[in-house]
Amino acid sequence: MPIVLFVSVFLIAACGLVYELIAGTLASYLLGDSVFQFSTVIGCYLFAMGIGSGLSRYIGRGLVARFISIELMVGLLGGFSSSILFLAFAYTQAFRLILYLLVVLIGILVGLEIPLLMRILKDRFSFKDVVAHVLTFDYLGALGASLLFPILLVPKLGLVRSALVFGLINAGVALWSTYIFKDQLGQPHVTRFSCAVVVAMLIAGMFGAERISAAADNNLYADEVIFARDTRYQRIVLTRWKDDIRLFLSGHLQFSSRDEYRYHEALVHPGMSAVPNARRVLVLGGGDGLAVRELLRYPGIDSITLVDLDPEMTHLFTNHPYLSELNGHSFRSPKVHVTNADAFPWLEEHRDSYDFIVVDFPDPTNYSIGKLFTTSFYRLMGRHLARNGVAVIQSTSPLFARQSYWCIVETVKQAGLRAYPYHVYVPSFGEWGYVIASLEPYEPPMTLPAGLRFLTVAGLPEIFRFPTDMDWVDAEPNRLNDQVLVRYYDKEWSEIAH
Amino acid sequence: MNADERRSKKKGLSAFICVHLRLNSSGLSRRKFLSAAIVGLIPKTDPSIEGGFVFESQQWGHRIRDRASFPAPKRQVKIPVAIVGGGIAGLSAAWRLDKKGFRDFVLLEAESAGAGGNARWGENEVSAYPWAAHYLPIPNRSAVYVRELCEEFGLLKDGRWDEMTLCFSPQERMFIHGRWQEGIEPERKWLAPFEERVAEFRASKKFTIPMELGGHDSPLDKLSMADWMRQEKLNSPALDWYINYCCRDDYGALAADTSGWAGIHYFASREHEEKGPLVWPEGNGWLARRLIDKLRGYIRTGAPVHRIAKRGTRWSVFAGDVEYQADSVIFAAPTFTAEYIVEGASHVDFQYSPWLTANLTLQRMPRDNGAPLSWDNVIHDSPALGYVDNTHQSLRRYIDRTVLTFYWALAQGTPAENRRLLLSHDWNYWKEAILTDLERAHPDIRQCVSRIDILRMGHAMARPVPGFLASESRRRAIAGGGRLYYANSDLSGFSIFEEAQYRGVKAADKILSG
Repeated sequence: MPIVLFVSVFLIAACGLVYELIAGTLASYLLGDSVFQFSTVIGCYLFAMGIGSGLSRYIGRGLVARFISIELMVGLLGGFSSSILFLAFAYTQAFRLILYLLVVLIGILVGLEIPLLMRILKDRFSFKDVVAHVLTFDYLGALGASLLFPILLVPKLGLVRSALVFGLINAGVALWSTYIFKDQLGQPHVTRFSCAVVVAMLIAGMFGAERISAAADNNLYADEVIFARDTRYQRIVLTRWKDDIRLFLSGHLQFSSRDEYRYHEALVHPGMSAVPNARRVLVLGGGDGLAVRELLRYPGIDSITLVDLDPEMTHLFTNHPYLSELNGHSFRSPKVHVTNADAFPWLEEHRDSYDFIVVDFPDPTNYSIGKLFTTSFYRLMGRHLARNGVAVIQSTSPLFARQSYWCIVETVKQAGLRAYPYHVYVPSFGEWGYVIASLEPYEPPMTLPAGLRFLTVAGLPEIFRFPTDMDWVDAEPNRLNDQVLVRYYDKEWSEIAH
Repeated sequence: MNADERRSKKKGLSAFICVHLRLNSSGLSRRKFLSAAIVGLIPKTDPSIEGGFVFESQQWGHRIRDRASFPAPKRQVKIPVAIVGGGIAGLSAAWRLDKKGFRDFVLLEAESAGAGGNARWGENEVSAYPWAAHYLPIPNRSAVYVRELCEEFGLLKDGRWDEMTLCFSPQERMFIHGRWQEGIEPERKWLAPFEERVAEFRASKKFTIPMELGGHDSPLDKLSMADWMRQEKLNSPALDWYINYCCRDDYGALAADTSGWAGIHYFASREHEEKGPLVWPEGNGWLARRLIDKLRGYIRTGAPVHRIAKRGTRWSVFAGDVEYQADSVIFAAPTFTAEYIVEGASHVDFQYSPWLTANLTLQRMPRDNGAPLSWDNVIHDSPALGYVDNTHQSLRRYIDRTVLTFYWALAQGTPAENRRLLLSHDWNYWKEAILTDLERAHPDIRQCVSRIDILRMGHAMARPVPGFLASESRRRAIAGGGRLYYANSDLSGFSIFEEAQYRGVKAADKILSG
């Protein structure tokens, strides 16, 4: 009999620690700066437990019933804690407030548990045994939870389900207590019924866990967040998993350090190598400096002008030790001139022409970005092309967003330019598409710079061939007064995300 | 103002607004409390909002109405032609005369700030903005003078409309059931039967712009748009709302107060050769500005005409302290004022809708739920018409400040009542009414707005009430007489750019043909 009681202590201690770990981990995931998040979450949690312990003296009669209802409340709150936090992050502006509110509430409830349990047990055992055993199992539970959490729970169950599983354990302890302490309980049937309700809710949560994650998905990252900042224009997030660094802008993956060379070699060289004697290059977007790194392979280039909206982005990729190493310190090259401006008005205000233009904007997820994929934009871009110049446009995936891709091709043609669509495979993106736009006929180059890891001259003709499942489909051109592309894109990507 | 003062008002619209103010002020505090609790724990106070009324001309108008005496002229000027009124009709008459090589005329504009009429505009450090008319639909091929003007101003080149001027996506959205949705039209199943009828009317070719080119008498003019809808059994709540919205938007009137002919004309008169309309930050001020620049030499601003009298074979036009002695006069000001200004002019039975427009300068964008900020933004459950975003045609990807133009046709109740209502309340009252209305869709609007300027217009536009087509005084005014020609768009029954321009051009042509 005693051992059964102390197993309960072990379990509730484990539950208490798991909720704290979940809150700390989620805060670090979503907000970055894990030292700060863990310190403040643990601090608040322990402080709240102190409040709970203090409050326990106001609970007089009906100790067992109170203990059971507290267990059920912990089970519900803790069980749904990560669901609540994920959704709060995705859909409200008040993530921090909800986080600390939840941590404090759970802390207070958990703080009540042990003092109440000790008082329930004090008549069955001597005081010194109660204190010794309860605290021993309490700390043991904490050890168990802290080992289980990183090794088994997070990798196997994920945060949403881990919390729910421990919520079920709390509810289980409550149910179990209705049997152990049935002589001290007034109406065990009513209490058991509420236990069953809580258990049912948590089990339902287990089945809904997938949907909760999906609902919050846009704002979630699979890996550890190592940098996160809300700039005036977007949310910049860097994540790391082993040696794989990923950049997300407002929730959309921009590159993975493992395969970005594929994307950027394919972006730059098929167009750039085809322009004889290219001296002046313009990059629109591309604030990560990775396209510029590829451009710097051409010693003939005199100047590279990069126009990116967000100064924090170019600053980050100029100064961050790892990121500037990734782009080969390209922003420090004397040939490179970085301008932070909105691309469309910038093109309107300037008159210079360029031998090669790289257009590397985020996908057309909304009408604001969609303006940069219109006939008007490409016509303006065409006026900045030297006579033999070539432009290349990142054009989303011809496989996942087939009509969107061919809409961009059609838009380039409607703008009075020649269009040469091609695609490559980038593992972190899938099949990815580009369009070369030019005034004069374009031929794939016969040479490429040395040292490329992906492209070969022999392989170039292949990238201009489209297999049946991503071949041409009919699409309207995207125009400022009728942005069909945003609608195509929205429809096609939402079909994939189902 | 306290709640009791508000309750004591009995008139229709006033009570209506007050109910809304009261209802929403309790809702507001709850929302404020919630957002304070969630966002920052610190309740944010409204930053001070500046502003006032602009272009207040009622006093001067009422002096003329009440036939006050004006000082005698200090000097006389002989001139073959005087154009009275510098709105689109007057400017277009001047444009036509100038184009045909006729240079001996003046255009007299009452407003000292400049000509423009319903195409007036303003500008601040954030954006230019319209004071009234804010777009030009793609003109039909029958609107030859509008197309000629568009070609002259570079809007139409080789049969293609300028893509920087065609309204960008997304064009329209509506706030309904707690969120913004794209578009303002009702579902197909409600709209389709109406559109079928409209297609028949369009095919009849009687609904033209300019309206003068089409049919003149129509049984549809004998009943209201609302009656016609009932007669045709087109009575779903969604369609009803939409038709009423369109009548309020175009004529400042409810469907029940709009001629069936005019209600249908709005839908049946337009071809759709391109996805429009043509829009600018300053609205039709863009067109007015170019006309004014071109015609600057003829325009006399701050020259309010208080009397036009026949002296022998000439007209004496008294404007401020100058008497213009003109062979011919083009009267392009609203025709109802002629009764008080032109000697021998009789009363016209035209009706006019009172409007209020406001320009709100935003220091940050309000929070939104649903479809993104569009050019035209309509709140479904509002007595007002919604607002237009004046930075919509910006090529920038990121916009953090803007000027919104808020439109409110006071269509509920009679025009006379609403004119009194407009004048009887101060700026603070109307500011609150506007913010309270916008709070339905933007709970944080008060934190975004730094300035609200308000224009109240007692006679903003002609209202095509049932029977307007057959109106005898309309016929008389169109005919004119004694070398005085009326040119205001109210001769067409409704105030749109194309009609104003047509009337101005036709008046000029009468002078040119001798």
